[in-house]
Parts: sequence; C-alpha cells; structure tokens
Amino acid sequence: MSPSADRPTIAATATDLDILRRFEPVVCFTQGEQFFPTDVDRYVAEASLWAHYPDGRDELLVKQGELTLEKLVQPRPAAFGTVHYLRFIEPLSLSESAQVLADQGRLRRILKNDFHPGVGRLARGGLLPRVVDALFTLSFLARGRVPAASAAAAEIDYFHMRAHEDKFVYYGRAVRQNGWRVLQYWFFSCYDSWRSGFSGVNDHEADWEMISLYLYEEQGRLIPEWLAYAAHDFHGDELRRRWDDTGQVDFVDGHPVVYSGAGSHASYYRPGEYQAEVTLDLPSWLSWLKTFNQVLDEFWTGPLGQPSINPFRIPFVDYARGDGLRIGAGQAKAWSPQVIDESTPWIGQYRGLWGLFARDPISGENAPAGPMYNRDGSPRGSWYDPLGFAGLDKVPPPSDALRILKKNCSEIKKEQRQLEALIPAKAAELDALGMKWKGLEGHPHLAKEYTRLGKEIGVLAADVRNLRRAHSENAVILQSLTERLERLKHGVQDDPRAHITNLNMPVTTRRMRFDRLAESWAAVSLSVLLFGIVALVLLAPGYMGAGLGIILTLFVVLESILRSAFIQTIGLVTALLALISAVILLIHFWFWIGIGLLLVVAVFLMFQRLRELT
Amino acid sequence: MQKRKKVWNKKRSPAVTVIAWGIVVLFLIRLYQVFDPLMGNPIFRNGINGRLLEAGRLTPLGNALLSSAVYLILSVAGIVVLIGFLRMQRWSWVVLMAWTGLSLMITLINYFYSRPNYLVMASNTIIALALNQADVQRIFKIRTDQSEPIR
Repeated sequence: MSPSADRPTIAATATDLDILRRFEPVVCFTQGEQFFPTDVDRYVAEASLWAHYPDGRDELLVKQGELTLEKLVQPRPAAFGTVHYLRFIEPLSLSESAQVLADQGRLRRILKNDFHPGVGRLARGGLLPRVVDALFTLSFLARGRVPAASAAAAEIDYFHMRAHEDKFVYYGRAVRQNGWRVLQYWFFSCYDSWRSGFSGVNDHEADWEMISLYLYEEQGRLIPEWLAYAAHDFHGDELRRRWDDTGQVDFVDGHPVVYSGAGSHASYYRPGEYQAEVTLDLPSWLSWLKTFNQVLDEFWTGPLGQPSINPFRIPFVDYARGDGLRIGAGQAKAWSPQVIDESTPWIGQYRGLWGLFARDPISGENAPAGPMYNRDGSPRGSWYDPLGFAGLDKVPPPSDALRILKKNCSEIKKEQRQLEALIPAKAAELDALGMKWKGLEGHPHLAKEYTRLGKEIGVLAADVRNLRRAHSENAVILQSLTERLERLKHGVQDDPRAHITNLNMPVTTRRMRFDRLAESWAAVSLSVLLFGIVALVLLAPGYMGAGLGIILTLFVVLESILRSAFIQTIGLVTALLALISAVILLIHFWFWIGIGLLLVVAVFLMFQRLRELT
Repeated sequence: MQKRKKVWNKKRSPAVTVIAWGIVVLFLIRLYQVFDPLMGNPIFRNGINGRLLEAGRLTPLGNALLSSAVYLILSVAGIVVLIGFLRMQRWSWVVLMAWTGLSLMITLINYFYSRPNYLVMASNTIIALALNQADVQRIFKIRTDQSEPIR
C-alpha cells in the first residue's frame, strides 16, 4: 500500500479555492483570546493612514472612516526612511483610557472570556531570567511601546466588529515551486495582545500569521506531504512536520489542527504551554556583548561542563491550550476564505505597516507589514521562497524522489565505469615510469633526468591515489543510495522527524515543590532583593561586599530549593566562585603556577621516557 | 596458565583521587586550626583552669576552646565526607560541593577584606573544578547524560 493511501486528496485540476478549502486548517484558540482572524477590509475601514518622516514628524494621510483598500494602495512617493503605517486605535486621553479599561473589564465579565495562567510565568524561570525580565520591562521606559489602553480599546472595537458580522477569514495562496504545490493560509488579527493579555513579550496593532502546506501531484491528484506552522521568527527544518506524523499533528476529517498561541497567535502542532525564549535583538553597538557571551559560554559548557546560559534570552510562556474558540471544518465557527496572490492590490502594492509604528528600535512593538513584505519594506522570505522557509528547498516531492535517486545512482555508476577504465591505465603508466626511473640509478650523468622523472612519478602517483579514493568513496555512496532506492521502491518512508534537531514541545507543567510559595516568591523575590540591598547600604555600608554575597547566596539557595534544583544550583554557584578564585590565584602566583606547570610537564615526560626503557 | 577472570570494577577517576587529596589537605589545615588556639593557651599542660565566660562574653580561653571545638567538628565532618567520597556515595558529592561553595565564599570575602588564605582557596578551587567534571558527576549519579544534570 502506498504511504499516501490514507491521506485526503483532490484533483490537481481543481481551482485554487477548492484546493485551499480541502485542506484548510482547524484553528483552536486558548480560552481568554480576544482577537481572531478577520478580514482586512473592515479593519482598514476602522483605521487611519499615517506617514512617519525621517525628521521625526508624523502626518495623517487619510482619516479614520475615509480609508478603503483602494485608497491604501494609491502611490505615495516619499523620502527615504519614511514609514507608512495604519493606526487602528487613535491616541486616547487619560479619561478615555480609564473608560476603555473599565469597559474592557465589563466586556470580559459579560463574555466570561477570562484567562487563567496556571503556574505563573515568573515561577517557571529562575532568578537570572527574572532579573533579565525586569530589565526588559524597564526597557519599555526608554523604548517606544503601544500605549497600555490600546489593547483594551482594540478589544472593544473588535467586539463591535464581530457583533456587526461574526466573520472569520483566512487569506489563501496557492503557488507552484520545484514540483511542489504550496498552500499558504494567512491569518490577520486586529491586535497582538501577548504582553498586555498574557504577560508575553510584546503588543502590537495588527498581526499576520501563516501556516503552509506542501502537496505533490501523483496520477492527477494532489497529496499533502508536509506542513509548516509559523511561530514567532523561526524558520527552516524545525518548523516542518510530515503529514503522517500523527504523534505531532492532529487532524479533524483530514484537516490539520493548529493550536494558536494566546495573544501572540503563533501556531503550534500540539496543545499546551510553550516556554518561548525570545532572543533580544541587541543594537549593533552592543554586539560585542554577544561575542563576549559566546566566548564565555564555550568555556562554561566545554571545559566546565555546565549547561548553557544565555542572558540575552528572556523566557516567556506562549499559551496554546486549544481550550477556547475553534474555527474550521466541523467546528462551531466556519472560515470565510479569500484567495490572494501578488496581483491582489493590497498585497503587492502596500508596503507599509498594518498598525501603529511605535518607534521601537528593536521592532517588537511595531506593527508588522503585510504577507509579502518585512517591516522595512523588503520582500518577505516566506512569501517569495515558501520552500526555503520550511527547509524544503533541498527535498524533492515524493513523486520525483525515485526518479532523482535513480538518476543519481546511474550518474555514479557511469563515473565508476570511467574510473575503472582509467585507474588501470594510469597505474600501468606509473609502473612503466617506475621501472624507467629505477633503471637510471647508478648513472651520475643521468641525474637530471632521474630527478625530473622522480617528480613526474610523484604527480602521477598522487593522481592514481586520488582516482582510487574517488572510486572507493563512490562505491560507499552508491551502496547507500541503492539501499535508499530499494526502501523507496518498497514504500518504506524515512523517519518523519529525522530532519528535526530540537522538537518544539509544550512544557510539562512541572509542579513546584511548594506551589503557592514558589509563585509568591517568584512574584516578590526581585523586589525583596532590592529592599535587602537598600537596607544593607543604609544599615551596614562597611560590609557591603560580604553582605551582598550572603544575601545573593541565600536567595539562590532558597530559589533552588523551591525549584527542586538545589544540586544543579550549588554546582553552578561553586563553579563560578572557583573561577573567580582561580583568577585571583593566577594574578598573585602566576610565576609559581608557571614553574609548577613546567615541573609537572618535566616529571610527566621523564616518567614516559623511563617507561620506554623498561 | 589459567584464563584471566574479567571482573569489572567501579573504577575511581583521577579527578576523584585529586579531590580526595584535596580533602586530606583541608583536613590537615583544619587539624592545625584545632590545635593552634590550644597551644596559645597552655591547656594541654594546665587543663581548663580559668573561666570560659565573663559578663556574658567569651574569655580568651573560652574563645580558644570554642574555635578548637568548631574546627574539630569540621575535621570530623571532613573525614566522614572523605569516607563517603571514596565509597562514591551521591550524598558526599552534594555535601562536598555545598561545603566547597560555602568555604570558597568565605575565603573570597576574607580575601577582599585583606585576610587571604591562599592554600584553602587553591584547595577549594581544585576540588570545585574537579567535582564539576562530567565523568565525576556521572560516577556520583549527579549527571545521567552529558547535557542533563539531575535537578
């Protein structure tokens, strides 16, 4: 039986819309999610269009209520560095902000759409990530950010949009590349409320998310082979799952299931809570910090054998529980699909941001651009290279795999035949030269010829050696390819996860030793630490160093006991202290340490040599 | 000749031997610290012939006795850990690591207050680095896999 026999198929001649509908996903949201995939028409009608100029000015180009998709794509020549952006929520006064926040609370009570985080985010990470997290939170004071009441206002506006028409839209795109038929499902949400709603990394107006399906054609039918769900900024092989990997991918009547991250709308294969580690994009003038960290990390993980620590990654939880609204085939809510491609005007002709440009230098709070572009207006990789996006650019469709493999084998066989003819001829030539060379020995007047022949023999011997090596390597490769060819002929497939290095799985909600205590401690620990330092400065300034050392040690030990990580923690702390001590000893005793090392080397060598004598 | 009987023994790694020697060095230092205060006060010759406490404070004799007692306890504990360590018990690794960490912290604090003890610092540094070796951690079942220490 063919491996694809139990997969849903559709005629290759079907329309793009029909193909998209046949494989459209079922998207499961988390209880508490406020923004679902919607259509851009209504969003644009609710938004205003702005331009941010390089001199810092912002100019309103089209007022809210007057903007349409046709107006959005009108050509607008502007100076280099100009950013065009939409604004879904107009600036709010203090009283308006208070009003929308109160309305938001009322709305959630009415809808009973509350989110319960469970084990708190802060309790899941240690003290160091908490410090970095605090610094990250403080960084919002210096960076641009979406105003706090914007999420509440967006939630209320979106509620009214849904009340008018409860419509759930995906923008589908079907494209052919390298023998694959790629289906992309783009989801647009009015707002990404990950930070404000779910203690995540960022908030921004407008959100574009996408999943891709990769189909191949066989006997006039399209058969799905791979899926790639986009999550944050990840790309490549890790994103991809094979259709028959049922341990990883859920299906409802042949439709793949997507578990959407609460607020972030990142797409996941399995329901659960994901420990998302967000890497800080440091400005270029701080890139030396990363290099320094890499060097330290190599020493830390290599000679010291410690688990890697990356202080530039902040742990956040992405809740993709799938216990909320479900959209798709057989669910309470159905999709309203729209087909898009490069010729869709708002796709190809609007390069601006789809929401507020918050002037955030690391971009997390700036709205994204459309499906076809990055924030800086450059083409988006997942649009122009959907195969490369999922690491499929090196993988042929199964229908082509056999043919390509056979071609590979026959090419190698041909090369082997050529080598098998060439090697004996070259070897015979080498033998003849060798005999001639040997015959010149003992005749001083032929010294020049002898040297020339010697060089020629060296070159020819190297040639023969290389040809024999190529023949030997080809034989091994051919054997491996032949085995694979046989497997494919018998319908045996590769391990569906062979291409995955780090399988992204939800974290097991490891119960802490003292649940409540750990949560409370995680929430207050950093503040208590700062209070302790203040008390130390005021009450015992003469013992600053010792006091700080003792306070930090107490914190670390308490933390490790609560997190059931005492052994790991003492190992880590002691290794750090040992490193500091080693540096101190090296500074004070470098001369004697050098002498000692020389003596050790001398004794070792003497021991080795004496052993040879016995 | 009779065929050699192949018996697999749980072998100590060189790092374990280094650590054991480190403990012995520290034990000797502590032992010296047990007797040093007692030598200052001729207790061995005269016995305890004075008051240990006066007005709620330790007298020099009391201080010397208390120091000796503390160092004696530490020395005995050191021997217990050494035995556990040579028998490759998991608890001994944990105790030794915690102890070494504490000792290093105290030594470093003393160093920054101009009271350095380089011998203790060096011994503890060697012990700490040796205890952190992956094969030592595996012997003591602290680490089950190369990349995953037990929590």
